[in-house]
Amino acid sequence: MPASADATAIGISADPSPTLMARIRDVGRLLNRAFPIIIVAVLILMIGLVAGRSGGTTAAAEVREGLTIGAVYALIAVGYTMVYGIIELINFAHGDVFTLSAFYAIFIAEFQPFGFNLNSLATSGPLGFFGALAILMPLTMIAAGLTGMLIERVAYRRLRTAPRLAPLITAVGVSFIIEGFLFATQGSTNVRTGKAGWLPGNAFTAGGVVVSWHDIFVFFSALVLMFLLQAFVRLTRLGKAMRATAQDRDAALLNGVNINRTISATFFIGSALAAAGGIIYSVKDDLVVWNLGFRFGIIAFTCAVLGGIGNIVGAGVGAFLIGLIQVFGGQLIGSAWDNAIIFAMLIIVLVVRPVGLLGMRVADRA
Amino acid sequence: MPEPTGDGLAVTDTAAPATEDPRADDDLAPPDELPVTASEAAREESSGGFTALVIAGLVFIVAGWLLPWFVEQTSNGIGYSAQDAVSSPPTGIGTIVVYLIAVAMVGLVAFALYDLVRGIAHRGRPLRWWRGRAALAILGAVGTLVVWLLIGVLREEPLFGNISSLAATDNAVWMTLTGFVVLALAYGLRPWVVTHGEVAFGGVVFMIGALMPFIFNQSSSFIEWGASAAAIYTLLALGLNIVVGFAGLLDLGYAAFFAIGAYTCGSLASPVHGLHFPFWIVIFIGLAVAALFGAVLGAPTLRLRGDYLAIVTLGFGEIIPDAANNNLFNATGGPEGITGIDHPSIFGFNFGIDAKFYFWSLLIIIAIVLVLLRNIQRSRLGRAWAAIREDEVAAAATGVNPVTTKLLAFSIGASISGLAGAFFGAELGSVTPDSFQFAVSVTVLSTVVLGGLGNNTGVAAGGILVSFIIFWMLDHLQEWMGTFGLKFGLPALGTIDYSRWVYIVYGAILVGIMLLRPAGLLPSRARKSELQAGGQTEALAVVQGRV
Repeated sequence: MPASADATAIGISADPSPTLMARIRDVGRLLNRAFPIIIVAVLILMIGLVAGRSGGTTAAAEVREGLTIGAVYALIAVGYTMVYGIIELINFAHGDVFTLSAFYAIFIAEFQPFGFNLNSLATSGPLGFFGALAILMPLTMIAAGLTGMLIERVAYRRLRTAPRLAPLITAVGVSFIIEGFLFATQGSTNVRTGKAGWLPGNAFTAGGVVVSWHDIFVFFSALVLMFLLQAFVRLTRLGKAMRATAQDRDAALLNGVNINRTISATFFIGSALAAAGGIIYSVKDDLVVWNLGFRFGIIAFTCAVLGGIGNIVGAGVGAFLIGLIQVFGGQLIGSAWDNAIIFAMLIIVLVVRPVGLLGMRVADRA
Repeated sequence: MPEPTGDGLAVTDTAAPATEDPRADDDLAPPDELPVTASEAAREESSGGFTALVIAGLVFIVAGWLLPWFVEQTSNGIGYSAQDAVSSPPTGIGTIVVYLIAVAMVGLVAFALYDLVRGIAHRGRPLRWWRGRAALAILGAVGTLVVWLLIGVLREEPLFGNISSLAATDNAVWMTLTGFVVLALAYGLRPWVVTHGEVAFGGVVFMIGALMPFIFNQSSSFIEWGASAAAIYTLLALGLNIVVGFAGLLDLGYAAFFAIGAYTCGSLASPVHGLHFPFWIVIFIGLAVAALFGAVLGAPTLRLRGDYLAIVTLGFGEIIPDAANNNLFNATGGPEGITGIDHPSIFGFNFGIDAKFYFWSLLIIIAIVLVLLRNIQRSRLGRAWAAIREDEVAAAATGVNPVTTKLLAFSIGASISGLAGAFFGAELGSVTPDSFQFAVSVTVLSTVVLGGLGNNTGVAAGGILVSFIIFWMLDHLQEWMGTFGLKFGLPALGTIDYSRWVYIVYGAILVGIMLLRPAGLLPSRARKSELQAGGQTEALAVVQGRV
């Protein structure tokens, strides 16, 4: 592709008349440009179809559902996009770090040194909930962040200059190790996180759509965390180092950026956000299972690709879009096709607009 | 190859023989500083084949020796009375003979082992003092037979008759014997083996493979399903090796094409749609359909960078079982899958459910595939794959069409998977969506990585090893560990559920191999030189046509 594209660009194409291939390429370019509009249009169409078929209330409830699941995806997708941005590796193990941290959170919340634990604190009232969250969130995020750093140190760092395939394969291996560990220690069935009662009650009912407190919590905590992350990457020294490393590792090194530390920090932050995702998912759905992260990981990666890999805001936008598409697609075709819809989406994005909605990277390197 | 590696070791290695017996050098490269020639490269490659043969022989011998002990340790001593023959030595006149031959055999094996270690220490260069070993090896083979016969006679038990009580011993005899025959072949035909290492090793592997049902004539469960499943996995690994090893495209949804082949077979030769195509046509249809799907999936996505492809294939690998599970077009039977698939028959003889025949057919297919792959790898297309894998931009600049080349790799790889799938469906008689989960793709990938990316021999060996672990060891591990635990006062060993640790083992294999031996256990020459000299030799190797 690069060769032919360059050839047309500098006008040495042998055949000046528009061939079939050239027409296809033109259509492709058009689709590429119009892609953001197309995807929003398709989404609106889907919402309209659902509203027409099952009523506006159902559609609105599905929007709520899509946004909350999208919030979880967003927090995972950020980790993918940051790691990919900085070392161009699809960190397969990232989805499993999400699951692992949900189990960390179970462990921490059930730890009972002084006759009470975080679960009992959280259910004691709104103040208790925030208190429990203020303890649980940092602890789990640090644990997950350290796990992420460990994974990078053990499995990826040595392969940083190796052929691209090598770290990708170790990533798959690490993913299997984490899943295997959870499978061996936690069993093959769903595990209750015990956080179902953390945030009971409904906040409000608008037009027949019930919005519960944990919907609000899930959605807004994801937004807040994303904004904090964006601010961190934009405003701090370490964030600047990350951006520099992502742009040009060698140049960053020459300018005094400690590459290893920056990459470690990236893994720490990505994994910590996945841990936040794990906690809000636990509050939202209460059930986790050893291989949950596999599916969530791929979906989150799809979100990152849709938004434009390497782009934090893009990951958030992509995640909410994918959440909505998944929910409405499931409504229209049947929820058994959830996965197929999302992966088809991924393939379409990669074919039509590999750079994603907000991405600017050129995705044609081998 | 002194020139490309240029690490000094090769130079000292070639300088030394001059002081020793020069006549013995007839099977060696002339010990001077000639540039690398194709024949020398071939020879060096082949000495690896020789080493592999010796290793294989030794493994078989030692495994044969240990088998009765092993069975005794793990089987609670039920139904294996013959292993007493080993633990309580025979008495009378035969004793001395038995011990003499046993000592000779041990000495011989030690000798071969020393030879092997020396050979490896000398970076795989052929040794010069091999003559006369053949006779000893043949003696060993005969000796084994005699020892076991004597044991049988002295214990007044028929050696090859009373199956139920002599299971372990009988298998052990055949294994040891096979090992000695392999050693005898390796040393007896050494000059030929050294120049035709690959062929020799392949031939021996296929010989042993074909004889497997007889060597393990007592462990029917292994041969019934294990061996043919191993053959299918090996075939899958060979196919994936084209995509990942030759062309450097990571395919994480390889099981999808396997599923497509199996479902094609299920649709065309079962009562579900009332179609009953002959099996030997169905496998080619399965092959073609899988290749078509490979092309359809690959055409739009192969323009992308490699790791995007990995994700797309992963998604595809999830969509296919999902679609089958959701009974797409009412053609796949949903979660129950398709049952009642016709078993293949040839000249009116129906294979039925006897796994032996599937195994033998698969062996023939694997042999054909190996020869084809070898030729493809050395053809224009194979070199184009290598070029693409190493540097796509440079390859495109020199006239390789990246899209077509990658598409061919993808399609050919998919077609082999489809073929394996069709076989799988026909053998099992049924296909269900859960046979094609992500774990299958990862298992095959770990096989390829373990065996050595890009090296067919290594990948085939990896296939045998991994399936041995999956289909035999994991099946028995629970039972073994339980018995071991009871014997050594650690009953806790038997209470662990080992099947739960499979995922960790796969993961650790992938990570460990990539970190410690990034090129796999038996790396391809190109990869090896790539890792030693940072890729420049690879280009050289491609240009010289040695890859």
